[in-house]
Amino acid sequence: MDPADALAQLETIRIIMERAALYRRALGPICLCVGGVGVLAGGVGFGLHVENVTAFAALWLGAALAAVALAFFVARRQALGAGEPFWSPPTRRIASALLPPLVAGAALAVPFLLGEDWARRVVWLLPALWMILYGCALQAAGFFMRRGIRLLGWAYAVAGIADLLWWTCPLNQFPSIAQSHLVMGLGFGVGHLVYGAYLQITEHRAET
Amino acid sequence: MKPGPFLQLDRVIHEKVRMGLMSMLAASPELSFTELREGLQLTDGNLTTHIRTLQEAGYVAVTKAYRDNRPLTTCALTPAGRKAFAEYLALLAEIVRQNRGAA
Repeated sequence: MDPADALAQLETIRIIMERAALYRRALGPICLCVGGVGVLAGGVGFGLHVENVTAFAALWLGAALAAVALAFFVARRQALGAGEPFWSPPTRRIASALLPPLVAGAALAVPFLLGEDWARRVVWLLPALWMILYGCALQAAGFFMRRGIRLLGWAYAVAGIADLLWWTCPLNQFPSIAQSHLVMGLGFGVGHLVYGAYLQITEHRAET
Repeated sequence: MKPGPFLQLDRVIHEKVRMGLMSMLAASPELSFTELREGLQLTDGNLTTHIRTLQEAGYVAVTKAYRDNRPLTTCALTPAGRKAFAEYLALLAEIVRQNRGAA
């Protein structure tokens, strides 16, 4: 065997092993939990008339943190239940793929948390930008998960872009904060609930 | 006299599809038939043939079970399979190393 062939063989094995080490936790329950948080936050924001820029940013940043914590908890519970380590190489790869867009999304909220005057005029941009960044995060993490997550990433990115284009269309007025709560609740809440329900139905079927 | 590393390569593993199967199984505690088939883009028949070869060599254990009333076939490396794969990798690395030493 040619040494170059041996080297190529080792490289192929490395690539196959990396691809095979997919994140294997069931994502259905995680999506349902995240969706539940989204719907709750949307309901609170819209129902309690949270129409202050700082409160809007704080509510959704808090909801995002709660959703991340809940997802972390559910994934850890699943891993322990399966007798496998939680902080496995695939989990680490997913966390590092998710982190940059999620941190960027959180950082975007900072000027709005400070309640600057200009922030009120552009707060309607936040849901669209958050959806686009979240879509990028899912798309990046999807390389270490099953294919469906990358499609969900695309769906969020497209929804964010559509939201952005819709409100910038000259025929439409910029949305109120109450409408932004609805967009967030629908996008992050209902979106995750629908996808979570779909996964719950199909995840086991795909394994057979 | 000990043969060169190439001649020592395990012929059961040293085949494109079986090497792929062993690599996938080495990276996960177990994988379903579907995951292996999709991961390596094989037909059911082709996959079954190669799994049987690995099973007969004692490298892979196949478990048939039911989950939610659906049949689920999973494969995992046996300790012998894990050892054989580690030796296979070591021999490939040895071939590369020998060449570097000679250059």
